[in-house]
Amino acid sequence: MEILSVQHLSKHYPKFDLKDVSFSLEKGYIMGFIGSNGAGKTTTLKSMLGLVHKDGGTISMLGMDFDQHELEIKQHIGFMFGGVDYYAKTKIRTISDVVRRFYREWDDSIYQKYMKRFALDENKRPSELSSGMRIKYSLVLALSHRAKLLLLDEPTSGLDPVARDNLLELFQEFIEDGERSILFSTHITSDLEKCADFITYIENGRIIESRTKDDLLQGYRLVKGTSEQLAPLQARLIASKSHAYGFSGLIKTADLESADHLEIEEPSLEDIMIYYAKKEGLNE
Amino acid sequence: MSNLIYKEFRLVIHPLFFVTALFGVLILIPNWVYFVALMYFLFIAIPNIFMNVKAQNDTGFSVLLPVSKSDVVKARIWSMSLLEIVQILVAAIFVAISVKINPKGNFLIDANLAYLGCSLVMYGLFNIIFFPMFYKTTYKIGIPLIVALTAVFLFTGAIEVLVVTVPAVAHVLDGVSSAALVHQIPVLAAGIALFAGANWLAYRLSARNFEKVDL
Repeated sequence: MEILSVQHLSKHYPKFDLKDVSFSLEKGYIMGFIGSNGAGKTTTLKSMLGLVHKDGGTISMLGMDFDQHELEIKQHIGFMFGGVDYYAKTKIRTISDVVRRFYREWDDSIYQKYMKRFALDENKRPSELSSGMRIKYSLVLALSHRAKLLLLDEPTSGLDPVARDNLLELFQEFIEDGERSILFSTHITSDLEKCADFITYIENGRIIESRTKDDLLQGYRLVKGTSEQLAPLQARLIASKSHAYGFSGLIKTADLESADHLEIEEPSLEDIMIYYAKKEGLNE
Repeated sequence: MSNLIYKEFRLVIHPLFFVTALFGVLILIPNWVYFVALMYFLFIAIPNIFMNVKAQNDTGFSVLLPVSKSDVVKARIWSMSLLEIVQILVAAIFVAISVKINPKGNFLIDANLAYLGCSLVMYGLFNIIFFPMFYKTTYKIGIPLIVALTAVFLFTGAIEVLVVTVPAVAHVLDGVSSAALVHQIPVLAAGIALFAGANWLAYRLSARNFEKVDL
């Protein structure tokens, strides 16, 4: 069953457009939302949650239309935009005490469990926490009301490798029962290689790909060849980089021909991102 | 709604701002501009509370909660009006004392029930200008404050001038005798009604403006 569906979402800004963004996520999976800085990840998430006014499109979560059931949906989802950046000098205990009142299904035992797991001290104030700890606290707040869907904007940026790994494990645990899902945006593609089932890739306000990670990786090939081979191939390549010994480029697997005689490799998500960004002229 | 109001008093409004109500003691000064006593709230509490709202990213926090944007505005206006009512109630105590110790009254408007009624209108006027302007951005405080305070000065200035120059107005608004209550109780009642109406309108306009803000 679809837990999240975004259809034809659009938002116009004077210098940026979110165009026809569509993707969906099933129960029990993790979807990574990738794209370079300024590609539209945060704008998409904010438009989905009504924090930014969308110009068009429909959003549904937990089987309900977001515009019509906003408050009900917000009771059952968790979302965060970076770390806690509010009430810097107020004790965490006080902030939590305010937040817990708003959720019907707030569970103090879950709250205490994650506070302990993340070694967060309720007597501290956000200003005393490192950026990683602020993100963790923000996550604890998103997790403590039995959310069925988590929408997380850059939850791993600013965390050290160990903390990131812990967090990714936690994500896996979260979806284990098959009833809950996570959509998280990131530009750290190695996170996704570890735990994402689906990838939605946005560049310059448009969705380039939205499918399973394996399909996505199988859908592209990294090719290398000599400078002479580049010219006839150019039209089929998504983008290429020339260097002293020849070129390397990204191509859709379907566009490969055995007659090409190229060195072929499986790309990483990062390769796909870099070449698409190059195509969009963002790397120049 | 009660949760949001709890949030206002727990996180946004420092208890210290209740103390501004004690400026009501200035009503005991003989021959003075009594409206100023109730303006200290607008001079001190309002700018500080809203600077705090901005500095602590209260808006960012509020929209993460499962509440509607209009309820965020409603709770803010409720809590600010509550503080204003506290100012008026404390002022009422000093008005009662003033009537006893200053039976001759004041050269401007006397400290009496009509004065309290006019003060409620003053707060209502402030709210109806300040809140909708503030909620156009949720971070620009200066211009809304200047415009709202200017309106407050013009309104209270006009009342004072009318009390001194127009006998008919003085007849209704001035006086500390119990006979004067006949005119003053309706003024107070009208003040309460206007204060309530202004807050309702301030809420509607502010919520409409806040709804348009992209966060």
